[in-house]
Amino acid sequence: MRMADLIDANPNLLLMLQHFNIDFRVSDQTVMQLCTGKGISENLFVSIANLYNGFGTKGHEPFTSEDLLQVIEFLKSSHDYYRSDKYPQISSYIRQLQEDHSEKELRLLEKFFNEYFTEVLDHLDYEDNVAFPYFITLLDKEQNVEEGEVYSSKEYSEHHTDIELKLQDLKNLLLKYVTIEGDLDLRRRLFFALYELEYDLYIHSLIEESILIPSGVSIEREQNV
Amino acid sequence: MESSRIIYEGLQAIICQSELGCRASRIETLEELSVMLETTKVDILIANPLLFVNREKDIRKIRKSNPTLSVAGIDFGIIQKQSMLTDISFTLYDSAEHIIHTLEKLERKNQSPSQLKSESDNLTRREIEVLTGLVNGMLNKEIAEALNISIHTVVRHRKNITAKTGIRSQSGLTIYAISKKIVEIEDIEI
Repeated sequence: MRMADLIDANPNLLLMLQHFNIDFRVSDQTVMQLCTGKGISENLFVSIANLYNGFGTKGHEPFTSEDLLQVIEFLKSSHDYYRSDKYPQISSYIRQLQEDHSEKELRLLEKFFNEYFTEVLDHLDYEDNVAFPYFITLLDKEQNVEEGEVYSSKEYSEHHTDIELKLQDLKNLLLKYVTIEGDLDLRRRLFFALYELEYDLYIHSLIEESILIPSGVSIEREQNV
Repeated sequence: MESSRIIYEGLQAIICQSELGCRASRIETLEELSVMLETTKVDILIANPLLFVNREKDIRKIRKSNPTLSVAGIDFGIIQKQSMLTDISFTLYDSAEHIIHTLEKLERKNQSPSQLKSESDNLTRREIEVLTGLVNGMLNKEIAEALNISIHTVVRHRKNITAKTGIRSQSGLTIYAISKKIVEIEDIEI
């Protein structure tokens, strides 16, 4: 299957390519050619593409340590996307909305978003500085993991749930409750940005839950035996 | 419920000259209120909150058996925080229009539950009370005490509020409550 056809069928795969640090000009390469050229296993690439296409990862082969290190790079890259692209974009739309409209709720809405954004940044920093290094240590067979650290994987998925719930709140407030007159262009842009973010966050946590954490847990089990 | 004749007659004049279309009666104690409630439907109790001091339990009992009764407190500047026993309060220096406006708001709150339902995503009166507490930054325990219900019940109300509104976070619920005019934005610190 050619990569260009896959993108045509689901443009969200562009985001996946970006997180894998693959250029969008994929020419006529097939998935296999693309993976070989980039040193990514087809197993991993197809598993993640399946998540983006709405399928589970069932039936995949076990992931290698090399795969999991690439997963971590992938997740880190998506952090950069949230941190320096998506959240600032949403933030600027909300700012604009607040400036254009006198409704006082919008001031609170901006405050809500800013607090939420700060929480997200804290969480991303936590993953980058605590959770990911933990997994990297786990994958490095030379080093033994100290007991107790195991719990960071659990803690880390709980954080994520929180991030998605507040995003849900924000969407619901805008869709159902907060009254804003007109300004449909700006509001549509805001909605699209929120949905894009929500979609990628969803895949992000699926990758963690269906690839990273289970693999981490089985490595933990092996090492403890 | 006020022992000063000056205050009572002043309020009575304001209320009777307004378009609220209601009758005012004067009582001086909670006991008189209980007796009155047995025979008469009372929509709004305007009370000097000083008369509530040490009588919290009795008032909660009265409110429990008369769920449609609203309580407006006269704020003498002595009781700092708006007491949970009153739904709303005004001061003696407020303009007549403001006082009428305040009472009108209470009257609207009192309207039939079905009307309340369609306006607030089917939140029950109790859920609205819990929500108001939440928005004012009260802890579950404090809400439970104020409403004379168990913490368990508060948690159940909170779950229902989230299920009905689709909003989970406290800050999100604050915005919800303002949009729905359950609380006034002026009451919230920004």
